[in-house]
Amino acid sequence: MIKVTIKCFSQVKYALGTNELILELDSGTTTSKLEQLVREMAEGKLDDISLRVAVNQKYVPNEVELQDGDEVAFIPPVQGG
Amino acid sequence: MIITPKELRDRIDEFTVLDVRPETQRNEFPMDGLETIISKDGSTPNLEGKKVLVCQFGIVTEGMIIENELDDIFSLLGGAQAWIQFQSENEDLSRWSRQTILPEIGMDGQKKLMNATVAVVGLGGLGCPVSQSLVTAGIGKLVLMDGDIVELSNLHRQPLHGPDDLEKKKVKSAEESLSKINSVTTIKIVDDYLDEQNGLDIIRNCDVVIDATDNIETRQLIDRFSKETNVPMVYGGLYRWEGQVAVLNMDGSPGYKELFPEPPSGGDTCADAGVLGMLPNIIGNIQAMEVVKLIIGIEPNLVGKLLIYDGMNHSTQIIQL
Repeated sequence: MIKVTIKCFSQVKYALGTNELILELDSGTTTSKLEQLVREMAEGKLDDISLRVAVNQKYVPNEVELQDGDEVAFIPPVQGG
Repeated sequence: MIITPKELRDRIDEFTVLDVRPETQRNEFPMDGLETIISKDGSTPNLEGKKVLVCQFGIVTEGMIIENELDDIFSLLGGAQAWIQFQSENEDLSRWSRQTILPEIGMDGQKKLMNATVAVVGLGGLGCPVSQSLVTAGIGKLVLMDGDIVELSNLHRQPLHGPDDLEKKKVKSAEESLSKINSVTTIKIVDDYLDEQNGLDIIRNCDVVIDATDNIETRQLIDRFSKETNVPMVYGGLYRWEGQVAVLNMDGSPGYKELFPEPPSGGDTCADAGVLGMLPNIIGNIQAMEVVKLIIGIEPNLVGKLLIYDGMNHSTQIIQL
């Protein structure tokens, strides 16, 4: 098992109701698998929202395997005005 | 009391100028064109008439005057630094003395700001504070672009627009407010939304383009034109209590397209999701700060990085793109 911290921003924060989550995951869990889990936890509230991923404060464009102690951030698009 | 270099030169016959700087500073930065008396502590027991105290940046003498209650004595704004600049180039920059004193800015940095052109796309929640702070900082030229009008629901977060500006074009309202702050900045207004036809020409003639839009489609266009023209883009985004800032497309650094390769879905506007009025002012000012750093060449900055600020707990996170 590995333990990862999830930083929640913008719509993710509102969907999950928290700034930060700590999850225990199976070894070998990837960023895509975690994203799928986060979407399930959000119970549909993130269904239409694109998410990008950063691991340990570094943007990760492609799927990577997570390591014990990693900090993962899901970044939704925000507009402005 | 304060006197500027220009005022001092115009009224030079009225004043005795006392230089309170140490000898090393006097030798290194001589004040040409000014007869001075050296007075280490600013005291002038035997002198009649009006007096001006001069230190290197104008800070020490202002303190002396307050501390000793020297109500009838003037301090030269910006000090010797501002005088020397004024003498050599006939341009009085003392108004910006509190930022030119910063070693990272100085007179050279201020001149770079005054020679720079910045495009601000969107004159709403982000565009108002960005342009306000850039004009206040003495930026040379602003190109303001927006086709929208001022509405009542804008006023809680868009301080360049007031109740008298309702239904007025945002660019016009912004221009009127900004010209009261600093008439030296040239302001060009473009009463239109940025699109495929007009965007490239506007961005290519600027040093930096500010993304202060309220929609992702326009942001993607700015990103494309920014990349094509190699004019860096300072992106700002808002969501309720949170904001994002990044400097994109700077000498090949990642752009918005690298962050979101496909047109992203689900980004609510401030109108949809709501926003606390202070947030865009904080984020817009961070954008303006990055513009100043880009123009002067100050590091570290947000080139290739995404700053996420949460106003609820005042946390920040910087993601390397």
